[in-house]
Amino acid sequence: MNADEQDRLKKLLQAALPPTAGEPEPGRGPGRDLWPAVLRKLDSKPATPWYDWALLAGLLGLAGLFPAAIPVFLYYL
Amino acid sequence: MKSHPYLRAYLGGIFVPTLVLPVILTVFIVTRIVIQVPTPIERILIFPMAIVPSLFGLWNAIWLGSHDRWHQPIGLHGAVLPLVMAPIGALVGTSLGVLQIGSHGVVWFQACSIPYAWIVPGFGAAMAAYYLVWKYVVGSLNRVLGIA
Repeated sequence: MNADEQDRLKKLLQAALPPTAGEPEPGRGPGRDLWPAVLRKLDSKPATPWYDWALLAGLLGLAGLFPAAIPVFLYYL
Repeated sequence: MKSHPYLRAYLGGIFVPTLVLPVILTVFIVTRIVIQVPTPIERILIFPMAIVPSLFGLWNAIWLGSHDRWHQPIGLHGAVLPLVMAPIGALVGTSLGVLQIGSHGVVWFQACSIPYAWIVPGFGAAMAAYYLVWKYVVGSLNRVLGIA
């Protein structure tokens, strides 16, 4: 298949399959710059859930109440 | 960075114990030299220095190997590690004289007496601590190393 035939086939396929809703027309990019949204998505960190904070607070409280257990915990870390 | 994922998982796993080891050493040296508590540092350090880092590294490699099949969160995976480490640590501690098992409780380092009633809550606290360490420290390292 030469280049002319490939080009003709491409045009036929594009004519037979109309773009879906929201999809930009062939040869045109999206209507807005998507890169800032990608960067925001990459930079966003999931928030620490409340139960993790509760666990941390509980562990710190236990360490304060039973300081003798700290060396035992360190032995296992 | 796609090669040697298990090596990276092992290195990510041993990070925390390697970082904590100097702290342990400092605590035990201060306890023995400054506070004059006769703790057997040489025998105490064998388990945290020789076994704990390897267990952390292997546990992280196991997480990497099984994650595609089971999709277990790394925090919960780490929380299970005390179930493996506690018997090994107790066995090593008993054989080296670091842990004495009495009728009312256990005595760690010839100084810390822990009644049996505290062992189960203490074990739960250890699992909670491991959950946090694995979720936030080891999990972050795994992301940095490109394996999470």
